[in-house]
Amino acid sequence: MSALLELDRVSKSFSRGGLFSTRRVEAVKEVSFALAADKPEIFTVIGESGSGKSTLARMILGIHAPSSGLIRLGGRDVAAYERRAFMAEVQPIFQNPFEAFNPLKQLDRYLFMTAERFGGAAGKSAVEEPVDEALRQVGLSLPEIAGRFPHELSGGQLQRVAIARALVAKPRLIVADEPVSMVDASLRMSIVNLFGRLRDELGLSIVYITHDLATAYYISDRLIIMQKGVVVEQGPARAVLSAPTHPYSRQLRDAVLTPDSAGAFRATHPRKAVETSGDRS
Amino acid sequence: MSGGDDAGPVLEVRDLQAHFRSHYFGVNREVRAVDGVTFAVNRNEIYGLAGESSSGKTTLVKTIAGLLKPPLEMVGGSARFSFLPGWDAIGRAPPDVVRAIRWRHLSYIMQGSMNVLNPLRRVRHSFRDFAWRHLGGSKAEFDARAEAHLERVKLDPSVLAAYPHELSGGMRQRVTIALATICKPDFIIADEPTTALDVVVQKDVLAMIRAIQCEMGSSVLFITHDMGVHAALTDRLGIMYAGRLVEDGETPEIFSRPLHPYTRHLIASLPRIGDTQQREGLEGTPPNLAAPPPGCRFHPRCPLAMPICATTVPAMIETLPGHRVACHAVNEGAAA
Amino acid sequence: MLAILRDLIRYNLEFRIGLVLVGIVAMMAALSLVSLYPAGDVYVVPPDLPPSTAYWLGTTSRGQDVFWQLTAAIRNTLFFGIMVAALSRVIALVVGLLAGYCGGWIDRVLMSINDTFIIIPLFPILILFYFVLRDSMSTPLLATIMACLGWAYDARLIRSVALSLKTREFTQTSIFSGMKTHEILAREHLPYVLPIVFSTTMNNMNWSIGIEVTLAVLGFTDINTPTIGGMIYWANQHTALVAGIWWWIAFPVALVVMTFVGLFLLAVSMNEYIDPRSRLARMGGSR
Repeated sequence: MSALLELDRVSKSFSRGGLFSTRRVEAVKEVSFALAADKPEIFTVIGESGSGKSTLARMILGIHAPSSGLIRLGGRDVAAYERRAFMAEVQPIFQNPFEAFNPLKQLDRYLFMTAERFGGAAGKSAVEEPVDEALRQVGLSLPEIAGRFPHELSGGQLQRVAIARALVAKPRLIVADEPVSMVDASLRMSIVNLFGRLRDELGLSIVYITHDLATAYYISDRLIIMQKGVVVEQGPARAVLSAPTHPYSRQLRDAVLTPDSAGAFRATHPRKAVETSGDRS
Repeated sequence: MSGGDDAGPVLEVRDLQAHFRSHYFGVNREVRAVDGVTFAVNRNEIYGLAGESSSGKTTLVKTIAGLLKPPLEMVGGSARFSFLPGWDAIGRAPPDVVRAIRWRHLSYIMQGSMNVLNPLRRVRHSFRDFAWRHLGGSKAEFDARAEAHLERVKLDPSVLAAYPHELSGGMRQRVTIALATICKPDFIIADEPTTALDVVVQKDVLAMIRAIQCEMGSSVLFITHDMGVHAALTDRLGIMYAGRLVEDGETPEIFSRPLHPYTRHLIASLPRIGDTQQREGLEGTPPNLAAPPPGCRFHPRCPLAMPICATTVPAMIETLPGHRVACHAVNEGAAA
Repeated sequence: MLAILRDLIRYNLEFRIGLVLVGIVAMMAALSLVSLYPAGDVYVVPPDLPPSTAYWLGTTSRGQDVFWQLTAAIRNTLFFGIMVAALSRVIALVVGLLAGYCGGWIDRVLMSINDTFIIIPLFPILILFYFVLRDSMSTPLLATIMACLGWAYDARLIRSVALSLKTREFTQTSIFSGMKTHEILAREHLPYVLPIVFSTTMNNMNWSIGIEVTLAVLGFTDINTPTIGGMIYWANQHTALVAGIWWWIAFPVALVVMTFVGLFLLAVSMNEYIDPRSRLARMGGSR
């Protein structure tokens, strides 16, 4: 069994400050995990701001090189890939669907460009077919999107177009960095469900970066929880989130507010001062 | 929320309309961001406003707070505060009247705390800039008062000497909350104050907002898109969709018995840890407010839509005691 | 293109005024093609005549008709300004976009060259060029030299915008769509920098025309080619103001001021139109 993606003690540090007072900031410290090639899954990276989860995503995408450690895709070092060949295997989905496309440009050109450059398609009709197919996989179609500008679509639709664009390249792995945090609540679950379908029907593996424990529980197979660049807990998603063992994971889980946490801060009578259970600072 | 000395609501919004009007080279656009909203906020309660992006919730509170800048215009209706008798909206009162009530009676907590705190000035100076004028007294008295107030929000008085960038995001948001509350205002508007914060920090900040509100007996208008936050914090809740209020009532009531199909969907679609039930997103797209659908603005996406929904705007009707909803299907069923 | 022009004329007063002013200047320049007298010739009309029906703007002490002399002068001056602006814009765009987007050592190398050009003292260099080249100094050559000296500030400005564009998510989308660097710069980033290019074009033309006039007044240019500065040079040589030949100086100065104001108004109004925010607002996409 070979691994699709393998991270071997990957670290990343940035240097901050000027000429004389440089200090190293370690964003990611010795992170290791592997995704099997023959078993597509949604692998979630949970963390808050400053946990290094986005830096990790950018390293998997080859945008940053790790300071130490190795990232292998299909057994080969990511750094050894020709850039274009790598992008045909790994495609990104970003956080803000309104920023993912140039607001001054029509959406379809990104889709056509991807089909041309990665699908080897040439000519108008040859390009339209794979684009339409990818759009249909996300519940849209080319006639709906052709000639449209980003502002004409909702956040949910734009995120679907972004996913379709990634699919046009026929990648084996998708790295989605907070893909639903800017999508409206009423549309969020259709995007999350779409990830499930891509895994089940297209056999795609997805690295899902998020701070939202509830969707992680809902959709993912395995997860890691990161704090300040370090993996503090990992394992099957539902087992870990149902009974977290690390204190930080537990703290995270307890801070999640759902409709069931009704009245967590509500006063019994508003005139009296309340005991605030959550306040430990 | 009944108290002995409560004489009516602190804020009463009636049929408020606020539009964005722009003219660019012959292209005139009018976006009806807030279109006929009516609700009231009582003394000593936290009223939540929920809604998605472009539902008009931020435009609504900007209009209520009188922060009207072109292209935003208040077109009709009123938003009366009990501490500003004689004016039917802050935006219509003269600037000196508005200056006199800001911070003293009405304060505003925004999402980006950096927008409030001047990055080049120590926190102490921000406090003086904002509140000294209103509280009066000598410099030493004022500083002592600021320190005492910071202790109330569980911040060390030493943050007064710090620059904003030296504080963490959560600390900064606490400082802005302390700033907004030091004059003990009657009314606090909080626009997504915790959205940029991590969940662990968010929990603390929310608890603090509740504690300080209880202590001062102020009213809070709390805006967020996060239904979990509303459930945990607010006393009453209004749900906005496409520039209109579609439902409001006591928060526990809304969560246990949502009436409007949109509200029902919002609550039902939230995934929960420990629950593997399949959740669906809502079909369709939020409407374009420059050309909203006629009748009920939710009808193109509504599972209960009837012919009347496409022609007639449903009125906000008190279907259950203290629980209003604007929906033909629900209110017809209740009448029958 | 025509629709844009129509909208601008219909809804923007600044654009209308600017268009009229620049139109007058351009017409003057065009009239040089049908000039009654060759621009370089002297003593073709009686000297020192005040404005009259026969000689609309009077004649010079060198026996030239001020009106026809002015048409040739403004044509050469405009040509010079446009050439400097166009050349230096190209350099500023390429350097600014590349440095901002590529970062790393490319950025450092380009920016140190850039900073060198910013601190070079302009005037001594130009005078040095004049003394070295002397007779071979022509208007196109001077324009090229000026362009090489006049791009550095604007390249820095463009770089700062490019730096922020680089971090926007759509840049990554473009990369992962398989676009090459030059495609990203030309198609994705250029529209955001164009407003800067337009407004700096104006500044740059003002600056280059101003420098040219200064150099010409001092006699450090090819004074046999008629330019606005050259006209003032000859007027000074003949102590026109002392002699009371005010029209020899007043009309060139008035025309060059008209050019400045006209171009400025055009740039301001076009800037508003081309600005991405205003473009988005017109498309209905402002958020």
